[in-house]
Amino acid sequence: MKSRELSIKPIGLKNIRTETLRANPHNPRGLFDREDMRVLRESIDRVGILVPLTVYQDSKTGHFTILDGQRRWMCAKELKLKTVPVNQVAEPTLVQNIVTMFQIHKLRKDWELMPTALKLELLMKQLKEKRDRVLGELTGLDEAVVTRCKKLLSYSRKYQDMMLDPEPDNRMKADFFIELYAVRNDRAVRSFAWFKPDRFTDAMLRKFKVGGLKAVTDFRIVKQHVNNAIKAHKTGVISKRLQEFAADPELTPDHLSIESAMAASQARKLAKTVDKLYVQVKDIDLDEFYGQEDLWEKLQALADLIRKRLRQLGRRVEE
Amino acid sequence: MDKKRLREWLDQFQSYRHGVGETAVRSWLDQFDTGDRDLAARVLDAVEFYGNDRITAAFRDMLNAIPGWSAKPAQRKGKWRFVPYSRSSGTSAGSMIYNFRLANNLDARKWDELFIHPSEIAIQALGPDDTIVFVDDLVATGNQVCDAWTETFAELVGNAGRVYLMVVAAVRKARAKIKGETEILIVSQDNLGPRDDLFSADCGSFSSAEKATLLRYGEKADPERPRGYGGCGLVVVFQHRCPNNSVPILHARNGRWDGLFQRHG
Repeated sequence: MKSRELSIKPIGLKNIRTETLRANPHNPRGLFDREDMRVLRESIDRVGILVPLTVYQDSKTGHFTILDGQRRWMCAKELKLKTVPVNQVAEPTLVQNIVTMFQIHKLRKDWELMPTALKLELLMKQLKEKRDRVLGELTGLDEAVVTRCKKLLSYSRKYQDMMLDPEPDNRMKADFFIELYAVRNDRAVRSFAWFKPDRFTDAMLRKFKVGGLKAVTDFRIVKQHVNNAIKAHKTGVISKRLQEFAADPELTPDHLSIESAMAASQARKLAKTVDKLYVQVKDIDLDEFYGQEDLWEKLQALADLIRKRLRQLGRRVEE
Repeated sequence: MDKKRLREWLDQFQSYRHGVGETAVRSWLDQFDTGDRDLAARVLDAVEFYGNDRITAAFRDMLNAIPGWSAKPAQRKGKWRFVPYSRSSGTSAGSMIYNFRLANNLDARKWDELFIHPSEIAIQALGPDDTIVFVDDLVATGNQVCDAWTETFAELVGNAGRVYLMVVAAVRKARAKIKGETEILIVSQDNLGPRDDLFSADCGSFSSAEKATLLRYGEKADPERPRGYGGCGLVVVFQHRCPNNSVPILHARNGRWDGLFQRHG
């Protein structure tokens, strides 16, 4: 669907009674900054509402519903203004209404990402649109936020409910599931015979509760260990370690550290550094660098160290 | 200890999820000084225990009292969706929904479409003729209900015509708060008032001196919340859990105190 098809059609300006208005049911947040509200209230008290509210009349209930201007309306109620200026528009479709609310409230806090994700899910269903870029353009959400929302939507309802729990102490943060996503969806991990995504998620939740995971960013360390092991062809070992890690809530990500895998990873990094240095040393213009004593001394020390380490390794070294 | 009284407690509390036996009751009473044990026993007498039968009856009565509901789809106005409100302690909302379905003969699979997860509310795209019924056991302070409404549920519910929160018991003050701050309609079987707050001046079951003594034990059981969460001072216990709004001498479990109605584990 094109953006212009989602735009709201104007009907006209008028004044209507403040009490006949109602908040938009798709408005994502009823919480507003108190200081901002105080400033707005004082302004309206002095000069009135200069920018009309955007409203539509609900065809089923007959209520005038606010599309834009909820804060102005709340201030008008507090100031007991009998009427407010409104710009009435045609009743939006469900999709138009949700898109408008997204556009108005695009600066949503991350800790409340799950409700945003669920609204996005509804929009995706209604529009049959899944592309991050298009959804980002329609909603005004950053494409990265759309991606994060879609990660949350990949979890089963049981886990989504955990992010909606009314009791803050029981509510899981969206970040937990977003960080876990990289491990849970790792191609190698998903190929392990024992791996079941929801069981693994339950295990990680238990681990997070008892302290086997100190922070949600620990999942990055878990992923790194898995990556290193796979690159070092230690798939069997890391599969077993990860299974143990999941089974015992108190085991920390250190359990996944496979020494040889770590060494292999470090060796690859060092080899790249050596390659660079090799090229740089080979390309040195001897005449130009003739007097750079410090450099030659350091290269001499490095050459001596390399010979020594190669000998320690049992390699034949020519003098 | 009066054996008849002990038998009455055991008959009443034995169905609690973690089981309450004679040894547990005696151990609990032993935590009080000898001179305070009769007072402690009177707290047990005052406990408002909701067994499954009582909860089931409450859910049956409450659903039948909601206008527009009928088990027959043709006589039902709009779409109806029933949602567990919270996953809190001991999966109480899950237990509640299970009880609710049994109570109203809605436990067969053919009724499954009426029961959804909180995370499925938005995708239902409900309209003005439709009804959402959240199900839980207790509303005590109303703070969490109001906060969760503003931060989450108002948006998810969208254009649904009516939103109910059906609970077995609700504190009147909490009802008023929810009514004033949200669009949720509270339906409760029992309404709890100041007399149900053990420490309130309106509670005539204990003298001022006795209340002070119980508060001292409350401070031992939970120094941060000696009157229970939200300062509610309730003595309510559900079969599936003891709410944290009840006095901590009933449920706190730590190195200092061993409550009779364990909340976790």
